[in-house]
Amino acid sequence: MDLHGSTVEFRNVKRTFGTVKALDDFSLTIKPGELVTLLGPSGCGKTTALRILAGIDKEHEGIVEIDGKDMSQVPANKRNIGMVFQAYSLFPNMTAIENVAYGLRVRGVDSRKRESRARELLDLVGLSTQADRRPTQLSGGQQQRVALARALAIEPSVLLLDEPLSALDAQVRAQLREEIRRIQSTIGISTLFVTHDQEEAMAISDRVGVMNKGVLEQIDEPGKLYNKPRTPFVAGFVGLTNYIPAVTESKSSVLVLSQSLEISDHSPAVKKGDEVRALIRPEEFEVQKADEGATVITKSFLGPVTRLGIDVGTPDLIYAEITSKEAKKIDTGDFVRLSINSDAVMIEHV
Amino acid sequence: MVIADELTSPIPTRGGRGTSRSTPKFKFDKSLLGLLPLFLFLGYFLLYPIASIISASIHDNKHHLTLSLYGNLFSGNYRDAFTGSFKLAFYSMIVSGIAGALICWSVVKTTGVVRTITSSAAGVLANTGGVPLAFMFIAAFGQEGLITKLLLHVFHWDLYGGSFDLYNFWGILLVYCFFQIPLMVIIFTPALENLRVEWIEANESLGGTKFQYFRHVLIPVLLPSFLSACLLLFASAFSAFATAAAMSNGSIPLVPLFIGNLVNGNVIAGQENQGDAMAMGMVIVSLFVIAAYLLLLRVTRKR
Amino acid sequence: MKRKFTAFDKVIIAFAAFFFIAPLIAAAEYSLRGYGDKGHTFANYSWIVHQLGFSPALLTSLRIAAITILIVLVLMVPTVVYVHLGGRRYRRLVEILCLLPIVIPVVSLAIGAQVAMPKSLQSTSYELCFFYVVVAMPYVYRTLDIGLQSVALSTLVEASQSLGADWFKTLTMVIIPAIRSSTTGALFITFALSLGEYTLAVLLHFHTFPTWATNVSQQNIYGSIAISVTTLGGAWIFLIVIAFIPRIKSLFAQRKRVA
Repeated sequence: MDLHGSTVEFRNVKRTFGTVKALDDFSLTIKPGELVTLLGPSGCGKTTALRILAGIDKEHEGIVEIDGKDMSQVPANKRNIGMVFQAYSLFPNMTAIENVAYGLRVRGVDSRKRESRARELLDLVGLSTQADRRPTQLSGGQQQRVALARALAIEPSVLLLDEPLSALDAQVRAQLREEIRRIQSTIGISTLFVTHDQEEAMAISDRVGVMNKGVLEQIDEPGKLYNKPRTPFVAGFVGLTNYIPAVTESKSSVLVLSQSLEISDHSPAVKKGDEVRALIRPEEFEVQKADEGATVITKSFLGPVTRLGIDVGTPDLIYAEITSKEAKKIDTGDFVRLSINSDAVMIEHV
Repeated sequence: MVIADELTSPIPTRGGRGTSRSTPKFKFDKSLLGLLPLFLFLGYFLLYPIASIISASIHDNKHHLTLSLYGNLFSGNYRDAFTGSFKLAFYSMIVSGIAGALICWSVVKTTGVVRTITSSAAGVLANTGGVPLAFMFIAAFGQEGLITKLLLHVFHWDLYGGSFDLYNFWGILLVYCFFQIPLMVIIFTPALENLRVEWIEANESLGGTKFQYFRHVLIPVLLPSFLSACLLLFASAFSAFATAAAMSNGSIPLVPLFIGNLVNGNVIAGQENQGDAMAMGMVIVSLFVIAAYLLLLRVTRKR
Repeated sequence: MKRKFTAFDKVIIAFAAFFFIAPLIAAAEYSLRGYGDKGHTFANYSWIVHQLGFSPALLTSLRIAAITILIVLVLMVPTVVYVHLGGRRYRRLVEILCLLPIVIPVVSLAIGAQVAMPKSLQSTSYELCFFYVVVAMPYVYRTLDIGLQSVALSTLVEASQSLGADWFKTLTMVIIPAIRSSTTGALFITFALSLGEYTLAVLLHFHTFPTWATNVSQQNIYGSIAISVTTLGGAWIFLIVIAFIPRIKSLFAQRKRVA
């Protein structure tokens, strides 16, 4: 099982469906052995990028390379790419092991060799006892494991995962994503993972690319993406964010909840007196009990932290997260004072 | 998972049957009472008539038990009728099965209005039959028919130049296609709708060619559904009466027509119960075909 | 992602459309022909109505259809509802019983009716009603069963009772509205089948509309084709209406919501 990782490169790839830009000037490099996730709402172009790399979608502009080799003239069935689909991709007329062996069968590998290889892979995904079951006799999670084994059996240079967990229950999903990560890093295969679930993306990726309307807005390590979002969309899509009405005081400072704060570098340009929205994460608030001011409306215990829903007179409640220990002192109906503990805040135009 | 499958599967499992057998006392279940009207109705209007045919078919005209009436089915005119019906059902199964499957293949790709029109048209056409259908074909493909004339004057093809006649075997086959092909479209559509684009794409990404996809995936997946649909076509053509009666004028030996004749009093003396044996012959053929159909259905459901 | 629609598919559909539409046009043209090449005329259509026995035959068929519908309503609807509510464990049995008539060729059923039914019943054309119920049963069962499955009747009944409704209110306010559309569908199928059925009627020597049309057809080829066009056209319009009923209904429902 020693697959060396390949380098994948998208350079200025464009794809339109009618008038809709599914991918707009998309560039991305996946380093050998790296797991890169494309994250975004449905219709953002993430699946299009994956299908272009797989060779299923051929009508695009720009260049796609694997290990420096241009893929434009290589048909899908010659690209040697392993692919796991959302669901229902197993051939229903074949058993689990026959499914896994299929890629080797079409390559003309003799039956004994392909069977031992298929068993090896079923073992890797923990399904060696289910080898002779048909897809309908397997649970959803098991089916996706078989699909993963099938994709890896051909020793692909790149692994593509197209929302492989989206059809599964929450518990199975969490378990299987850890396992995918374990197998991927053991083999060291370069992987492109596509999902709309940010928790999933953050949990298993080396780097996450956030996409919106065909544009790759930011690609970074998960922590950086969360703490240093470069666009309002990324800030809003990754993690929970409050959008608070605010007014700018100058080009570089903004008044939020009567507190003067610096505007972060990646915010759009503003002039004095603009009405904007400030994006503040729940954990950036400090909450103190007071005799008057904002009112606590909801209180939900989330384990180590507790989330408070606070009415400050804006149309929406503001959500603040404080440690559960601190939260013991505060109850719904209490008055509190809110302060924002942040060096620089991101703003967006209303 | 397996247990859940067993529970939802329509065929009772061996375990289930075993437990019911191990309770020796038959306990009357009151909830059966609600089904009494249905039982009585079907008992009197379906099972009783069938039982009467069975009883009549194993008695000769002197009320002696005999199987000779069934023996007769294998000789003379009776055998010709069964052979004729088999031939017609078989040919119409092949032609309509293949044509219907091809049409289905294209129809499931359509969407919107085209899809609605084709699917409701199939439902309507499959239920067309009898005398109106026969006369429609006479108007179209008869000696004076519009299509016959069109073929002759535009394409210089004399439909009646060869062995074709609307009233012979090939003519009836043509007419049968008119309701059998739509029937095939109706039965076969669900199987094609269950095909997944993911299978094509998985085959491609795994390095398979189009031909390999056909051979290893598409054909094995569709074959049981195709065969079971064909069996239904066979049964439908085998027992169709109205259209055959309107078309053939008795010129082609077919079991339903033969029975119709016997019912209408054209009975050979001493063989009054022969019609019952023929009717049972049809039921038996039909039973075999449906049993094979159910068996194939089980194979497809296991998937 | 849909599979691609290719030129091959276009050819297939065009060919199929020709095979199914051309005979219709041909028949329509033929039915308008006059004797001795006198051009086209509607004479053949007025000829139908003036034939002896036209209205009695049509009335007989309509009466038979009405009674058949009544029996289906009284026998099948309560039975299938019952199977979905109380007698769940007998669902498989009832399904087999109701689908059984598919296995029995109608010709064989006709013979059986002749052998087994008492003379008193055989002397009236209403005998046909009972056998039409038998012939329609598989389709009626399927329609009702699918309809009931989609409304999860037992859950609705439980919900209704937990909200305090008694059995009568549950029946009138929950069960009947829930099964109305599938019942309508089943009744339409029965109606279409009873009006067009030929085999049992002719073999049991009754005079219904289809047997009358066949008899009349022997006299006048143009008139008989006019009859064919009329009955086929009528049946098709009818069946298309059935096929579109769910759509029409949802259309009305939308209107109501908007208003």
